[in-house]
Amino acid sequence: MTEAPSARAAQEGFQAAKEGFQEEALPYLDAVYRFALRLSGSPDQAADLVQETFLRAFRSWDQYTRGTKAKSWLFTICRNLFLRGRERMLRHDQLIERNMERDDTLPDPVNPVWASVDSADPEGAFFDALVDAEILDAIDALPEEYRAVILLSDLEGLAYQEIADVLGIPVGTVKSRLFRGRRRLQEALYAYAVEMGHIPAGVASRDGG
Amino acid sequence: MVQEFLDGALEDVSAEQVRAHFEACSRCYPHLRFERSFREALARVTRGEGAPTDLKRRVVDLLASAAGHDASGTPEGDG
Repeated sequence: MTEAPSARAAQEGFQAAKEGFQEEALPYLDAVYRFALRLSGSPDQAADLVQETFLRAFRSWDQYTRGTKAKSWLFTICRNLFLRGRERMLRHDQLIERNMERDDTLPDPVNPVWASVDSADPEGAFFDALVDAEILDAIDALPEEYRAVILLSDLEGLAYQEIADVLGIPVGTVKSRLFRGRRRLQEALYAYAVEMGHIPAGVASRDGG
Repeated sequence: MVQEFLDGALEDVSAEQVRAHFEACSRCYPHLRFERSFREALARVTRGEGAPTDLKRRVVDLLASAAGHDASGTPEGDG
């Protein structure tokens, strides 16, 4: 069947629409990979997630509203793919997550981790002593609902509303999980810093322990 | 408040007031420094971490063949 002029025009129009994808979506490949890696904990799974995410995004590029940020949209697709894959095996985790969502309260304004380090290292210099692998391990050990918001906010720079859109939760829940998650992460990093000797143990334990 | 301030989530006027307070107040300033050190450590983590090169290539190939396949519905090699 020979190509009619209209068919070629349609094909070129299709190609042109997809070219926007290269400028607007492909640059986020690294960010999506990092996110997928932290979600799945596996480079192989992350690679699969990246490929599937970009394929889906590419296929629905025409429906994508340019008003929203491509980065958030890609993260949404990626996370949904991840959850769908996990859903088949771990249904009870979702029940836990649903329970977590009801906690919209913000944590105590006085940061207990800061209170612990107070005189030993009030400015948190011990954070500098930690290497990337240690920080990533601590992030990976966080409960998923905390890890997701921290990844999106503190590693990928999304705003509260963007995170709310990606995860499909209210902004209030984003803030609550974010602030609690950060505390939890600080506790873990602090404990690790004590273990590694970045903070003298004698000064570190101020509870008489 | 510190969290929202550092997240850039406060309106300009409030942000300015909060910043001025935290930097002047000797009790609050260490909290701010502490939170900043924490954020800086996290921000450091992502630098240099990217997708493997072969993965990028695979994605581009995948999209190229998807484009060819979806556009014409006929096998590639028309043009």
